[in-house]
Order: sequence, then C-alpha cells, then structure tokens
Amino acid sequence: MLTFIKIALRNIFRNTKRSLITISAIGFGLGALIFIWSFVEGAHKQMIQNYTSYLTSHVLIHQKGYHEKSTLETYLQSPGPLLSTLKQDPRIAATSPRVRADGLLSSSESSAGVLIYGVDPDQEKNVSRLSQRVKPGAFLKPDSDKDIVIGASLAKNLNVGLGDKVVIMSQALDGSIAAGAFHILGLLDTGVEEIDKGVVLLPLKATQSLFVMDDGISEIAVRLKTASQAKPIAHDLARNLPSAKLEILPWQDVSPMMEQWIEFDNAFIWIIVIVVMIVVAIGILNTVLMGVLERTREFGILLALGTNHKQIIAMVAWESLFLGLVGSLAGLIIGSSSSLYFSTAGIDLSLFTSAMNSFYMDAFIYPVLHPGYVAVSVILVLGTSMIVSIYPAWHAAHLKPVDAIRSI
Amino acid sequence: MALLETIHLKKTYTIGKNIQTDALRGVSLQIAEGEFLAIAGPSGSGKSSLLNLIGALDTPTAGTVLLDNQNISEINSQELAAFRLHHIGFIFQAYNLINTLTAVENVEYIMLLQGVNRRTRESKSEAILERVGLADYINRFPQEMSGGQQQRIAVARAMAAEPRVILADEPTANLDSKTAQDLLDLMAELNREKGVTFVFSTHDQLIMERAHRLITLKDGVITS
Ligand SMILES: Nc1ncnc2c1ncn2[C@@H]1O[C@H](COP(=O)(O)OP(=O)(O)OP(=O)(O)O)[C@@H](O)[C@H]1O
Ligand SMILES: [Mg+2]
Repeated sequence: MLTFIKIALRNIFRNTKRSLITISAIGFGLGALIFIWSFVEGAHKQMIQNYTSYLTSHVLIHQKGYHEKSTLETYLQSPGPLLSTLKQDPRIAATSPRVRADGLLSSSESSAGVLIYGVDPDQEKNVSRLSQRVKPGAFLKPDSDKDIVIGASLAKNLNVGLGDKVVIMSQALDGSIAAGAFHILGLLDTGVEEIDKGVVLLPLKATQSLFVMDDGISEIAVRLKTASQAKPIAHDLARNLPSAKLEILPWQDVSPMMEQWIEFDNAFIWIIVIVVMIVVAIGILNTVLMGVLERTREFGILLALGTNHKQIIAMVAWESLFLGLVGSLAGLIIGSSSSLYFSTAGIDLSLFTSAMNSFYMDAFIYPVLHPGYVAVSVILVLGTSMIVSIYPAWHAAHLKPVDAIRSI
Repeated sequence: MALLETIHLKKTYTIGKNIQTDALRGVSLQIAEGEFLAIAGPSGSGKSSLLNLIGALDTPTAGTVLLDNQNISEINSQELAAFRLHHIGFIFQAYNLINTLTAVENVEYIMLLQGVNRRTRESKSEAILERVGLADYINRFPQEMSGGQQQRIAVARAMAAEPRVILADEPTANLDSKTAQDLLDLMAELNREKGVTFVFSTHDQLIMERAHRLITLKDGVITS
C-alpha cells in the first residue's frame, strides 16, 4: 500500500504544472462555493433580521382565527395578565401590544387605504426598529394622543408633510364610525415599500379609544433573545400559555412568502453547486486521464510484472485523493478567508440595491460562514474528485499489458 | 521433463473487422529448466508474440502453454497477473522501469507485490544490485541512468523475484555492442550461478552466439 501511495505522490510531483492546474481548479471551485454559500447565508440572515425588525417581529400572538381572517373583532381582551406572563419568560427580550386595523387616511386633497398600527411608543421601541426609521420628524411620544406617524411614500402620495392634519376613518368595534384627526409628527422611511406606502402609526391609547375597544389589542409582537429559535419557542408558548384561545405564530408562519423566498434561494444554490462540481469534475478528469494516458506504457509494465487491477486502481485513486485533498485545503482557505474578510468589511451592493430594498436587503451584505455548508462543500468537491477518477483508474487497470507495452 | 512447453500454439491478431494476421501458426516447443535459449527470426516472424504467450501476457488463439505441466491458457485474466507475479520475469527492449521509483525500489517492487517481508527485500535487492554492479546507483531514478544501467536494473528486478523463467524481448536492441556484451555476460553468469531459465527474442548476433540453443521462427513457424 505504501508503495502505491509513494508512486501516486511522485506522479503528482513528476508533473507539477499539471498538478497545480488541477489543484487550483479544485481550490477555486471549492473557494467560490464556500464564498457564495456564505454570501447567500449572510443575505438571508440580513433579510430575516430586517423583516423581523419592523412589523412582523419574531413571534406574533393573536386571538385564535386572526391569521385566517384579520379583523378587528378577533382581538385580545384584557391582555394585561398575558403580557406580564410573557415579560417573565427568559427567552423573550421584549413585547409590544398593538392594535391593527384597516382604515382610510385622508388629507385635504386625497385619501388612501392604510394599515393602522396603534402602538405603545415605549414598548414598540424595544421590539421593532420603526422608531429609528422616522425621517424627517419624530416617533410617537408617550404623551402623544393627537400625533400620527405615516409612511414617507404615503405622505408623498397624499401630498402632506410634517405638522399637516390628516383624518383617519374606519369602523369601530361596536360598528360605529371611528374617525379622528391627527397631526403628522414624523414620516416613516424604512426602505420597504410595503410599509412606507401603506402604514400609519398611532398611539395605542388613542387607537383603543378610536375603535372603542377598552384595553383590548389585536396582537402582541414578541422579540426573542435568539432569533433563530422563533419556531420552537412559538410552539412551546402555544403549548404552555394558559389560554387556549391564542394563536402564536413564528415569523415564518406569519408570512410564508419570506420563508419560501429563502427556500427558493437555497434551492437555487444547488444549481451553483452542481455547476462548480462539473467544473471540478472536468478539471480533474482532464488531468488524471491525461496522466494515465501518458503513462500507458508504464501501466503496461506494472501489469506485466503482476500488479493486479485493484492495485492499479488504488494507485490512480491515491493520486486523485491527494490532488483533491490539497485542492480542498486551498479552497477551504480561499473560501473561508474571503468569507471572513467580507463578514466584517461587508460587500457594497449599492449599485443594485434600490431593487433589493423591497426584499428587506441593505446596501451592504455581510457574508456568514456556516460550518455546515463548508463541510458539505468540502465533502461534495472531494467526493466529485474521487468519483471522477474512477474512469481513468478503471481504464488504466483494464489496459491489456501487451498493447500497453507496445505503445510508447 | 520440460519446464515450459507450447503445443500447436497459434495466435491470430484481428485488426478491425476483417484484417487478420496469423502471427503464430502452430508452434510446439519445449524449454528445459536452466536453459539459455534464443529465439531468432526476421521482423514480424512472431518472436514477441511467442514470448507474450509464454509469459501469460496474452492468450493464444489456439494451442496450449504449459508451465510445470500446468495449462496457463486456462487461467483467467485476473489470475494471470498473480501467475506472472510468481512465475515469470520480464525484461523488455527499453523503458522497462517504473519511472517514479528509484533503482532499489524498482528491484523491490515485485517482491513487494509478492508479499516478501521488508528485511528480505532489502537484503536481496542490495545483494542483487551489488551483483549487477550498480551498488552505487540504488537511489537513482531511471531517468538518471544510462540505458545499459537501466537494463541491468531490469535484470536485477527480474532476478530478485526468483521467477521460474525470465523472458527477455530484444533486451539489447537499444544498447551499443559493448554495453550489450556486458549485459549478456551478466545474464549468462546469473544463468550459470543460479540456474535461472532465460528465453530471449533477438536480432542480435551476439545473443545468438551465446545462446545454448537457438530457435528460428519464420512466418509464425519454427524453421530450425
Ligand atoms: N497487437 C497486434 N495487433 C495486430 N497485429 C500484430 C500485433 N502484434 C503483432 N502483430 C503482427 O503479428 C506478426 C508477428 O509480430 P511480432 O511482434 O510477434 O513479430 P516479431 O518477430 O517480434 O518482430 P520484431 O522482430 O520486429 O519485433 C506481425 O505481422 C505483426 O504485424
Ligand atoms: Mg518483437
């Protein structure tokens, strides 16, 4: 065995140029794979972060049936005890009670359908980034009761600005007309069109009285300490919270669109994986096969001396394995170091970013090196390099010694 | 009793669909243990074909090859490798050695496949390299040696494995006459000292003179 390893190694060194080409094909292929995977992972993380930092949050708690039919009537009465139970949960970072209703926002010139969020200014600050995205103007204050924050695009469409008066109209819980006038305190500029075009924020108290719902709320937005735990924690809460009338959804279930998009993206990566593996496969097949064909006579001699098929295959396989290992190591270094470098430096996508904003992406993407994906990449590339060497190895082993020796 | 025997050995090569060459047309031959035998004949007369069949590198179209009365034509191709490993030594015209192995590693290679332990391999290969006069060259790679030296290594490799017979297909064809003479001296001495059977194919007058027995092939049959 040692002799075959020795022969394999020496063959690698015998044709350094060809070996280097193979190694770099593997190295760049694997490096690219690792980097792309890190990039997409980073982008997804960012999308999720952005997505969960505005309206959805990590977990949303509603009255049962709200997800099916989001009406004002499906609301949580006297949520006080529930809120204090949640506050004691060590996995929960913050909660924010909200009223959520459809309505009509009118300026003196025109009007538009909007989604009204009644929020408690202080609590909302701990759950979402909405308060940080008010520009120009200011976020709601605890003592606001005639103030409103509206989406920036919405303001543009209605041709209103800071300090202007707008009127909200909707139907209250008891069926009466809910109407109120508010002054624009700030404009919401999140970059997410969905929000900027159609959301208005009102103080919670004012909203509750507008809709005649006492201390009732539509939802509780829950921010977790560990974002990735949304699903298990939501399920756990659903099982353990006393009231059976709750509907507790992790962000993935609130809007399946985002999760589907990420899943689609992940599936798309496999196309890249396959392309890379094909490149690696061709690179290795080419060099190993060339190496074998060049050495036809030598294989003939080896066979004549009594070397058996398995031993010849082992010789060729060792050669590919070593090339694959060195190439993989190179790829690992290239892929990991570039991912790690950009994970702090970030990749500026501002050239393409305007289109991406609506996907909850920022101008800078910070790749995230995921050990699992790195391992899968290495295994796939190394596996490809081994599988591809089967044919040359088989070819070498099944040469007819007489013919092989005759060929020079 | 003959060590090696061929009975009505025929070999027909088929090129493409319908071009056939009858390289051997019924060769019956007996070779005794310890012989130093040369097969001569014009180019294309079938010398190499005969050696390849005797050495189990190829299978005959018809007829049989017996080694120690064992019919080697009945062995399948996988077992042929093992058969060659243990019974046959080969020396080819040129480029005999494994380029990635040093002289001593080349000599040890067959013993290694045979499963000979390291101690024995080392002492044997040292002794045989000494014997062929290349003790100073043990760590050279083939490209770093002359053609004559390479052929000596090839002889040493064949010898070290202790085969029943060493088949040498024009071993001197690529060497100048002085070097060829030396190589032949070496093989003749080894034949005498150790009793190893040698079978040559050759155009070389020198080998024909030195051979104990000379067989001439013509158009695939023995003419003398
Ligand atoms: N692999 C092969 N395929 C087709 N024809 C072959 C093959 N090997 C040998 N022949 C033919 O068989 C005949 C005998 O060839 P062989 O090589 O045995 O002759 P030889 O006596 O060794 O010749 P030389 O002295 O030139 O080496 C020749 O006509 C040759 O063309
Ligand atoms: Mg010949």
